[in-house]
Amino acid sequence: MRRYVLSSLIALAVVSLMSAPVFAQAVVAKPAPAAKAWTMPRTPDGKPDLQGVYSNATTIPVARPAYLGAKEFYTDEADKVASAAQAPAGRGGRGGAARPAANDPEGGGTLAVHYDTSQFGLGGATVKRAASLRTSIITGPEGRVPAVLPEVAKAAQERRAYQQAHQWDSAQNRPLAERCITWGFEGPPMMPVGYNSTLEIVQGQGYVAIVQEMIHDTRVIPTDGRPHGPAEIKRWMGDSVGHWEGDTLVVETVNYNPQVVIQQQQVSDAAKVTERFTRVDADTITYQFTVDDPKTWVKPFSGEYNMVHIDGGLYEYACHEGNYGMANNLSGARATEKK
Amino acid sequence: MRNKLAIILAGTGLMLAVAPAWAHHAFAAEFDEKRPLKLSGVVTKWETVNPHSWIHLDVKGPDGKVTQWMIEGGSPNSLYRNGFTKDSLPEGTEIVVEGYQAKDGANRAVGANLTFKDGKRLFMGGSAPGANGDGKQ
Amino acid sequence: MRIQALRMRASWLLVGAAGAALLSLAVLPTPAQAPYKAPRTKDGKPNLNGIWQANNEANWDIRPHPASQGPVYTLGAAYSTPAGLGVVEGGEIPYKPEAAAKQKQNFTDRLKLDPEIKCYMGGVPRSTYMPYPFQIIQGTGHIMIAYEYAGAVRDINMGAPTKAPADSWMGWSNGHWEGESLVVDVSSLNDSTWFDRAGNWHSDALHVIERYTPIGPDALQYEATIDDPKVFTRQWKMSMPIYRRLEKNAQLLEYKCVEFAEEVLYGHLRKQPLQGKGDSK
Repeated sequence: MRRYVLSSLIALAVVSLMSAPVFAQAVVAKPAPAAKAWTMPRTPDGKPDLQGVYSNATTIPVARPAYLGAKEFYTDEADKVASAAQAPAGRGGRGGAARPAANDPEGGGTLAVHYDTSQFGLGGATVKRAASLRTSIITGPEGRVPAVLPEVAKAAQERRAYQQAHQWDSAQNRPLAERCITWGFEGPPMMPVGYNSTLEIVQGQGYVAIVQEMIHDTRVIPTDGRPHGPAEIKRWMGDSVGHWEGDTLVVETVNYNPQVVIQQQQVSDAAKVTERFTRVDADTITYQFTVDDPKTWVKPFSGEYNMVHIDGGLYEYACHEGNYGMANNLSGARATEKK
Repeated sequence: MRNKLAIILAGTGLMLAVAPAWAHHAFAAEFDEKRPLKLSGVVTKWETVNPHSWIHLDVKGPDGKVTQWMIEGGSPNSLYRNGFTKDSLPEGTEIVVEGYQAKDGANRAVGANLTFKDGKRLFMGGSAPGANGDGKQ
Repeated sequence: MRIQALRMRASWLLVGAAGAALLSLAVLPTPAQAPYKAPRTKDGKPNLNGIWQANNEANWDIRPHPASQGPVYTLGAAYSTPAGLGVVEGGEIPYKPEAAAKQKQNFTDRLKLDPEIKCYMGGVPRSTYMPYPFQIIQGTGHIMIAYEYAGAVRDINMGAPTKAPADSWMGWSNGHWEGESLVVDVSSLNDSTWFDRAGNWHSDALHVIERYTPIGPDALQYEATIDDPKVFTRQWKMSMPIYRRLEKNAQLLEYKCVEFAEEVLYGHLRKQPLQGKGDSK
């Protein structure tokens, strides 16, 4: 069985690579520079109009493959394909140019005991993505999440060890996503996810509302310069307030629920995430974020990607209401223990 | 073998060691790779729910007895974006399910491959014939 | 002669004044009857932006009802049903006979069946009058309603109406303006929500037409016309005021609530049962 899993994963990697040009063909043309013949649309009260439904799906990996070093951008599509082909095999090897699996909420695509995600249109072939020559979502010469503080690494290790022994004890021992409380991709910062990577922005008087399809979570962000809410009120999506800097919406989020995980780490009460939304053309919003948690990572880290407008809307993702899986998993765990 | 597996898995960026990449669904606990099955039956209901859709199937055994099965599939939201609707798998459709049975022995399975009787896969080919184009805004 | 003329003029003046007063009472509408005209958004629509909340007993029971014992004795008077005047126009829900029987059974089994206990989304119209605020964000072409309870959200399409591909908990909303009112046509609701904690229910044929009409700077009148031919003998309507949350820092907080429902949903599948009584901490 292990061999089958292994060969499936290799097959997935190979298929992903081979389909890279297909993904490239499915994307929107590179956005024109903002200066050319395009004016920022405005809402009736004069603010930049960010409204619409967007796909933030991407094939860009979160972290830059090690073999690319400090290279933040490929020179062109051909360079991207050539780089991937020249990547060292094995560890960290097979590039990131075509790896939807990295954001796959299913955790791995073609594992044997799983439905075929492509049969349900979840494999990414029909998904619209913004064009990009970035080598990673995380920007800067390193292109990866920084190291954590030693005490954080130790605490995380202890937590993992505990989890190994207790992961099936109860619903509350399962990860937040499996409980349908919140998916890690929602953040903020909002990260691309392997499927249903869609969000909608609606701007009302003094507020920008952002709904992410999974799990229908809505941030209603005030832009009137008010302070954050009370620090006692921790939230699954943190407490966001926004303001406009020129034509960029800047959103600051603090007071995360201590169970929230960002880039594989539980964040501290010092965590602050800053997001910047800038419309750069009729179809595209550039999304930038900075994660600053001095009690968790040795330094802040930032990322950037483009989201692209799509036709249609969001569909309801009533995760908790349809979560047969939780009861089934626990029942399966109890049955396995009896053997 | 174990070491090689670990390296490949780490290299694919799935970051298996920590929760989020696996976070959504631990199939290992729900369905049993040692219980593969192939079912042929009639759709009685398609629950177009999340995080996974479920096909309810009446399966007639060799003894003529009918048992009711629940088959797990993917989120339907992407199907909607491709023009499918809840009417795309009507009651009475005969389908074949290749999959794995639930670990707790219930009449539940994950459908690794879903086909019509003629072998054609369900939901393939982009837009469904007669897809409800009105669904797009 | 002059005094008499003056007196006559005075009387005529009096008569005239009385007449004018009577006239004004009879002909001109009193301020209370004049329809309220809400301030406009910059694109000329009635401005419904804000944080709103119902303040009535409809979530307990939408019909007129007396106070009664709640389903959990240990919660005593903290969780028993307060009396309510009802929000159903005419007071009675026109159930078909078998549907009325099902409502009574729902009530008896409400601890097991009420979707609110499981933190399932409230659907329409119940989400409007659950005891949690909701926020209307009036955009261009779309109006979003975000509900604190269960983090539910609805997108109201204000353009050409569209159709849903499948049923959902919060339905599929197409809206338009009729004078001062936002009118929302809600279809493709699933059959899994209730109207209240009393087991008043509907089928998947439910179709709701909502009207949100400002009646003052800080209040809306909310009306919902209910149409479900599988369950009711005719259409019926509920109506209630909704009030603006006026706190300076009013905002929706999180009531994700999944974490509060897990014990009731999955507690029986624990590896080890919870210590203590099991129904309380």
